[in-house]
Amino acid sequence: MKITNQIREKTLTISLDGELDASSSVMLDEELSKPEIMLFSKILVDCENLNYISSAGLGVFISHLQRFEDAQIKLIFFNMQEKVRNVFEILGLDLLMTIVSTYDEAMTVANE
Amino acid sequence: MLNRINQRYFIFIAVISWALLLGNILNIHANGASSNSFSTTNYLNHIAKAVFVLAIFMLQRIRVNAYKGVDHMGYLWKLFTRAGFTAYICAVLHMGYNAYARQHGGTFPTLLETLYAVNFAFFVIFIAKGFYIWRRLILLQKTKALEFEWRWFEILLFSTIIISLFRLDYTSFIFIPLLALLMLYALFLCLHLNWVAYLTAIKRWRSLLLLVVIGISLLIFYRYFLHMSRQPGMVLAYLDDPFLLLTSFFVLLYAVASLLVGLFSLPTSSVFEQKREDLLNFQRLSQLIQQGEDEPQVYHTLFESAIKASATDSAWLEIIQEDENEVIEMHNIDEESTIQIRDLVEKFTLTNADYINNNLENNPEFKVMGLPYKSIYVALLKSPHRTFGILYLLKELEHGFDRETINVIRTFTSQTILTIENLRLGNEAIQNERYKEELKIASSVQDSLIPKTFPSDSWFEISCFSQAAKEVGGDFYDFLELSEGRIAIIIGDVSGKGISAAFHMAQMKGIFHGLMQDDLEPVRFMVKANQALNHCLERTSFITSALYIIDYKLKGLFFARAGHCHTLYYNSMTEETFYFNTEGLGLGIIRDKSYAKRIHNMHYDYNPGDVMVVYTDGIVEARNKSQEEYGEDRLREMLAQTYHLEADDIKFAIINDVNEFSQDMPIHDDQTLIVIKFRNVQPNFQM
Repeated sequence: MKITNQIREKTLTISLDGELDASSSVMLDEELSKPEIMLFSKILVDCENLNYISSAGLGVFISHLQRFEDAQIKLIFFNMQEKVRNVFEILGLDLLMTIVSTYDEAMTVANE
Repeated sequence: MLNRINQRYFIFIAVISWALLLGNILNIHANGASSNSFSTTNYLNHIAKAVFVLAIFMLQRIRVNAYKGVDHMGYLWKLFTRAGFTAYICAVLHMGYNAYARQHGGTFPTLLETLYAVNFAFFVIFIAKGFYIWRRLILLQKTKALEFEWRWFEILLFSTIIISLFRLDYTSFIFIPLLALLMLYALFLCLHLNWVAYLTAIKRWRSLLLLVVIGISLLIFYRYFLHMSRQPGMVLAYLDDPFLLLTSFFVLLYAVASLLVGLFSLPTSSVFEQKREDLLNFQRLSQLIQQGEDEPQVYHTLFESAIKASATDSAWLEIIQEDENEVIEMHNIDEESTIQIRDLVEKFTLTNADYINNNLENNPEFKVMGLPYKSIYVALLKSPHRTFGILYLLKELEHGFDRETINVIRTFTSQTILTIENLRLGNEAIQNERYKEELKIASSVQDSLIPKTFPSDSWFEISCFSQAAKEVGGDFYDFLELSEGRIAIIIGDVSGKGISAAFHMAQMKGIFHGLMQDDLEPVRFMVKANQALNHCLERTSFITSALYIIDYKLKGLFFARAGHCHTLYYNSMTEETFYFNTEGLGLGIIRDKSYAKRIHNMHYDYNPGDVMVVYTDGIVEARNKSQEEYGEDRLREMLAQTYHLEADDIKFAIINDVNEFSQDMPIHDDQTLIVIKFRNVQPNFQM
């Protein structure tokens, strides 16, 4: 699992590369728990190279969801592979989180 | 046994030949025969003497060989107490004879000859014993070459008996060089003095004393036989014999060599002893693990050994536990000084390295303290991963810690670290064993939570499969008969694996049985379960679940899906295989009342012959070697092919297909599969 951050003004783009399993989700949790993350107004998660997400990985997003919502930080997923999107959908997270297909779309949603 | 018989045999021969020798000599005296060296009687003397000497040597060879143990000083002691002391008897006898002769006037040749023969016997026994005891000492740590050299020495020596037997003149120019060579050979063998090095200081002193006493014995015998050989009228000059001369020369030479080596190695013996002591301490440290000692004992042994090895005046040992230094051993120092010295050392020491200062006097800060120490050595007990403790050694001498001492201390400290780490590893292994045992218990407890007997009726059949990826898993399923012809089935998957998942699974089972006593409709159950889990589920955990209520009377299926895998269904009327694609959020994701909006009741009328397949994601996410997932499509395809089979066979077909697909890949998630088939038969209760 490789996690890369890209910062543009108040937008943080996190790119996930590999499999988000029990061990790599700890890394992601650390990343999302950093205090400076609250300085952003938009967090975009690039899932293009995310091949697999385990329940632990989903748990990390779920646990931060409420916190971001309270701080009015928009969390947007984009470029998601079909099977990963399927996991989000089965769990019902697609109705709770914003999942769009492209980066441009994500930026549009974020600037609404 | 054989040796004992041989010993008796040799004793017998020795006694007979000696008696013969003495008898013959006395006979010569009585007959007044001249000492014609070629007369038969005289020749008999030489044969008897040679036989006697040989018998005694063989006897001692066997006896000395039987000595056991490696106490070399004990050998010297035996040589003196069992043979050497006879020299003093010899002296007393001789003086006694002289006194007697003076008192009564004149000479008494018979008595003199008898005493002479007795003393000769003493001498031969002494030399033979000495010869073979030296052999034992020389052949200590023997090599093949040395053993060979010795054997030839013995053979050559014994061959000199022939010279005396044939009364050849050994002082002739033929034999002198040969005998001189033999003496050189003896000298060469005398260089093997290893045994001296193994003596401790006290034993060395005693050995030297014994060697001196043995030397005096030899001197007395020498003086006696020299005196007797000048005595007129004696029949036989016993020592006029190359064999005896050579053996006594060898015995004397080795005694002198041992004495000299022992004497000159005295000053260095303390060094050897120190080394041996260090080695023993080292061994003791490494053996502490086997004896099941604990850490304080290991540290104590290190502390004692280090003090002994370096002869320090003061020392203390502190161990580091959670960044706190705790002094656990002190020697000849008070707490205040330790604090002062530690503060000072911390100022000029580099962290993570040993510190040595052999000239504390030059340090003004140290001088201010007014402590008597002039050298300090601070040794860290450090492994690549962590520092266990610090050992402070202080001496009142300048340059108290030389390289040798420091090396020894370092060896001790590294051995200590090894011992401590091994001890901890051992303890960890025991702990792990205990965890495994507890996990086994957890596994069997969890196993008992999964129903073993399924509700059965004539209008439906049910078949279940469950396999955890680890000892304990997060999958669960259960049944509850709500009333006749009405049954609740739940399936669920707790996020994560292992013990925490197992706990939540048990909780979920409790919630299911608790809430469904009231025959709640599926959505009401999910909302209440979500509420109940709110208090016990950690933020990152969630549970997916699906609850089905099957009602025979209504021929209906009521269910709600909370984020769980879609239900696979075969409709026997339309002959279609499909998934119920319904919405519904997992439990524990939203924890307030708004959850009720995220879950929906579903209703479906079933027909006889319909098949419902309920499973967890471990089935559809099973992977093959190329990381492909089994997937919902393959599962649906399987059901489309097997719907006509019995529930059990459908289940086996699916499991086999999944296993065939994933082949030898280990399962990475728990797998659960439930197959329910509705039958075309009247239920029992209506019959």
